[in-house]
Amino acid sequence: MMAGADITLDGSGAARIGLPGNEADTAERFFHDILVQGYYLNNQKMVETYVRDAPARTKEMIEWGMNYIWDGKRAILTQGTNVNRILIEQLKKRELAIKNDFYVTDILTDAQCVAGIIGIDINSGAIQAIRSKAVVVATGGWQRAYSFTSAPGGLTGAMHAAAYRAGAELVNMEMVTFCPNVILWPPALRGDIFPYILIEMFGDLLEKHGRPFLRDEYDPSIYRIATTTEWNKLIFSIAATKVVLRGDGSPRGGTYYSIKNVPINILEEAEKIYPGWRWLRTDFSDLMNWLRAGNAVEVAPAAHYMEGGIAVNEHAETNVRGLYAAGECSGGLFGANRVASAITQILVQGAIAGKSASAYSKKRKVTKLDDAQITKIERHLTRPFFQKEGPSPIELKKRIRATADANLWVFRNASGLKQAVSELESILTRDVPRSSIRTQTRTYNKEWIDIVEVEAMAQVLLASAHSALIRNESRGVHNRTDFPQTDNQRWLREVLVRQVNGKMSLTTRPITVTKLKPPRVKFAFEDGIIMAVKELGE
Amino acid sequence: MENKKIKVKIFRFDPAADSSSYYQTYEVPWTPRMTVMDVLDYVYENLDPSLAYHSHTSCHRRICARCNVTVNKKAGLSCHTEVNGDITIDPLPRLKVIRDLVVEGL
Repeated sequence: MMAGADITLDGSGAARIGLPGNEADTAERFFHDILVQGYYLNNQKMVETYVRDAPARTKEMIEWGMNYIWDGKRAILTQGTNVNRILIEQLKKRELAIKNDFYVTDILTDAQCVAGIIGIDINSGAIQAIRSKAVVVATGGWQRAYSFTSAPGGLTGAMHAAAYRAGAELVNMEMVTFCPNVILWPPALRGDIFPYILIEMFGDLLEKHGRPFLRDEYDPSIYRIATTTEWNKLIFSIAATKVVLRGDGSPRGGTYYSIKNVPINILEEAEKIYPGWRWLRTDFSDLMNWLRAGNAVEVAPAAHYMEGGIAVNEHAETNVRGLYAAGECSGGLFGANRVASAITQILVQGAIAGKSASAYSKKRKVTKLDDAQITKIERHLTRPFFQKEGPSPIELKKRIRATADANLWVFRNASGLKQAVSELESILTRDVPRSSIRTQTRTYNKEWIDIVEVEAMAQVLLASAHSALIRNESRGVHNRTDFPQTDNQRWLREVLVRQVNGKMSLTTRPITVTKLKPPRVKFAFEDGIIMAVKELGE
Repeated sequence: MENKKIKVKIFRFDPAADSSSYYQTYEVPWTPRMTVMDVLDYVYENLDPSLAYHSHTSCHRRICARCNVTVNKKAGLSCHTEVNGDITIDPLPRLKVIRDLVVEGL
């Protein structure tokens, strides 16, 4: 369930598919910008396919009836709900069977190839295995491993963990984008990113004395790029977290978004864009009235997008035969910082994964499912029903989220990351195997779903903590206070995590370069932004 | 306002085990502007983990509508309906109950 917002494609590609477009903006330029914004960690083969296929996928969506407005530069604006509806319509047209509320817990394998999936039908509680020659994972991120997020429920990394257990590699798991200016309170609006949308037009982020800290404390070029481009996610998150850490935050641990200095007629003009202050079918008029009365809403960075994920190549193939991943659950495309659209990512990689999986399936025979493998998984899944004394999933979820919030937030350091590793290892080896649930019915058993999620969350976060610990530098959204420089001499490398003999094992590999050789330099965070601004010609 | 508690009456029914539905009442500490979802989460986390309500894919953003329930006989999204006093929570009417507040077709 995506809320926003846009599809990106190069301006000349847009002109080719019949949009007003912008001939000055080329595919080469778009490619270059994605790499600069991603701090060169991006897999360049994947960026090439993203840029190459974006116009065709956009055209297809428009032909299928998507609403859109061309933004005049490099994007069309639409709504996630509209994109969702159209894609589901297209699935139905092709008479594909759709299974809702089925929680896939594991990928079944046979001689290191995919053989199918197994999971829980949430409403009935039945455990069911499904035979399949190929599996495409398209399950989004794992933001719900954090307590404050702008992402919907269910995004707990279940399929990242399942792919990992089936032998797939995870890549760039240390890279987590936080969306700043996300509403902390009131509860009915908690997690909403509307102030993030508004601040592109007007308003200020204030610390507790009412000072606009970004304008007061940063280089004017950083202030400009933070308020006029989508780099705002990275820059505002860092600046706001610094304010909170030094004790100048709001009572609930954020900062304040205010429109106090915005003249009334400017607000009236803006309201024409969002009539009645409705955005994405949601009514924000109460919030706007409250802000206009001179109040400031408490906002904070929230876990928002995962650059890392299941490692794939430009054909959406993982290292496990028959297993593919597309969209946010895959890793590599956006390197260390995503600025271009994740909806374009869904459309481009989804189509590629579908084609790859289909070509592979045509050459394969259906494998028999391994009964012993299924029995083992069933036993593992149902064990919490038979254990009386162990920790509850509610307690374990809280511990996992506290660890993520404390040690895998905007800023990281070695001691915090080591604590995270030890806490998560202890949860996985000591607590999860003893965990118990009190609800005995299998029908919509929330405790049962929670304990399955707990194990996946802990595995995925452990991969993230290990990756963040090994990357002894700061790059993009990964900020190590003990290694504040971006080190292109040593760290133009991806971190990979995989399971070897039941243990989490880490390796690194050089980035995949096709056309653009990154500068071999070291630089501090703010210098990096200023350099990038120049590179991008902003 | 400090330490205010509210009485929350919730519809319970497991078609596989119960011959008919019944209500269970819980006492929940009230905080300003808390939502029905906050109330349900509180009951689940602190009082009764067997309570079934839709949350595994809820968007918490007023978009997906899967957390729709009836609050004091009026339909509303639990993620966005604020609670100011004692309440009765029922599943949406005329839909088959899977368990407690979870219904088919949402």
